[in-house]
Amino acid sequence: MKTDVMTSQERLWAAIHLEQPDRVPLVPTLLPEPAAGLAGVSQATIASDNSEVVKAVFKVFDDYGGWDAIYPASYIPVQLQLGGVFPMKIKVPGQHIADDIPFQLEEVEILRLEDYDKIAEVGFDAFFNEDFLWRVTDVAPDEVRGHMDNLMIGGASFLEECANRDVQPLFLASGMHPFFKLSLMRSLVPFTQDIYYNPEPVERAIRRMTDDLLVEQKLSAINTGLGMWMCCEERAGGYFFRPEIFERFWWPYTKELVESQWSEGIVTLFHLDTCWDKNLHYFKELPKGSAILELDGTTDIFLAKEILGDHLCLKGDVPAALLAVGKPEEVTNYCRERIEKVGRGGGYILGTGCSVPPNAKPENFRAMIESVHQ
Amino acid sequence: MSNLDQLIEELKRDEALGEVELRLAGGESVTAILDDCRAGMARVGELFQEGEYFLADLILSAEIFKSAAALLEPHINPEQQQKALGKVLLATMRGDIHDLGKNILATLFRVHSFEVHDLGVNVEPEDLVQEVKDFQPDFVGISALITTSFESAKEATDQLEKEGLRDGIKILVGGAVTTPEVKTYLGADFQTHDATAGVAYCVNAMGGC
Repeated sequence: MKTDVMTSQERLWAAIHLEQPDRVPLVPTLLPEPAAGLAGVSQATIASDNSEVVKAVFKVFDDYGGWDAIYPASYIPVQLQLGGVFPMKIKVPGQHIADDIPFQLEEVEILRLEDYDKIAEVGFDAFFNEDFLWRVTDVAPDEVRGHMDNLMIGGASFLEECANRDVQPLFLASGMHPFFKLSLMRSLVPFTQDIYYNPEPVERAIRRMTDDLLVEQKLSAINTGLGMWMCCEERAGGYFFRPEIFERFWWPYTKELVESQWSEGIVTLFHLDTCWDKNLHYFKELPKGSAILELDGTTDIFLAKEILGDHLCLKGDVPAALLAVGKPEEVTNYCRERIEKVGRGGGYILGTGCSVPPNAKPENFRAMIESVHQ
Repeated sequence: MSNLDQLIEELKRDEALGEVELRLAGGESVTAILDDCRAGMARVGELFQEGEYFLADLILSAEIFKSAAALLEPHINPEQQQKALGKVLLATMRGDIHDLGKNILATLFRVHSFEVHDLGVNVEPEDLVQEVKDFQPDFVGISALITTSFESAKEATDQLEKEGLRDGIKILVGGAVTTPEVKTYLGADFQTHDATAGVAYCVNAMGGC
């Protein structure tokens, strides 16, 4: 077991700045659902009570010896639906599905073709709050305030627990990429048809949503003081779309977002699920050190190191399936290989592919945590 | 190559469906039109395998095929029904309500003349086992987007083994979170993230080409 000589923040930012830290930093994506699984709390409980979420997250953090920065996780699903983070119908354990099943997003066609231009005209927030939200939520208008107050209380409690342990949240500002958000709201098949057969309205909506994000996320990220914001995208890459689609509907807007944040010294953490092998070279166009690519195990992280290793930090990519059904020695080997090869010279944060799964085996999660100290 | 093949290959939805309607109105046989649709779909599959086409292209072609099949269906008489190449039972198991990948797969199986029975999402293990008894499929396709459905899938595959139903079928597992470890865990025969590879596996297993 090696002794740490850097603080967690020094280690994390050394990696982000492509410098060699004392060891590879560790930041697993521990959301409320896996925290429930590892803390022995039911999914129904974690989906209905912010204080239980915070308790579960920090119980796991303490039980497993901690790590270098914590994913913000103090919410319950309905609050993210009301806030437009999950702009779709949701299935909540204990309410719509059994108590032991984690909450899920229900992707159905709710956004209509004519809505793209409404978004372009009034902006996403106004469209969402005045119209779209009421197509997807079960919550009555007079209950919204109470939910959002609980979210604020949960957030304050989360920050207090972080301070008690001298650990920082990885980020507090985040946004779904407009392309991904529209795809979820419209659902994959109709959205794909729109992109091919009716692209102009989609483009107008993405333009407006990006303009809004440029202002909102910049302010939000500056206010957190953490120097980072997270941008989630699971569909724009080469697993789903041709390069010409990527180049027209995703990349120009993404560059604008990253460059705008970077002008204030803020790093963009990309949460990139699915395989991005065919898109990795585009990220060379971003300013050096301006972003982190969080990969999920389907993108070839060694290829990413080869292409981007001297340019952007990489994060990931222990697959959820490995943590759920693998053996501890398999997890250790998987992590050690990445620590040695991707971590060489800096620019790497060990993390999970997408999220820690709700049914992660405790011994596998521990093996991942311990791998950075070996 | 006929015009209809080409239109489907180029993902020209409105033109392709217009061509189907035109040929139907001209009294052409449903079988011939369907064969051309399948030829177009086969070409899309080849381009996908070659890396020229992407999942989005596969989705669009599958939607065109579905719409074309819907236009043709009222005109099919029982004598024209092709014999199914094989029977496929599909399910997303308990703990997972996602069905996008499974729905794409179902269409691709139909394109290749398989009889498909789709149990839907959040399927209980005992329901899958019962359906294997009733439907007697050649293949069981289990789709997963989140890992929590692995346990119910495992219950189902164990039960199939226990009841002596496993030998006669091939089990496929697919979806974004699946890996070779999941195949081993479930005792499945095939694992993939690629719907066309899953269909090709079944076509080969039935001695097709």
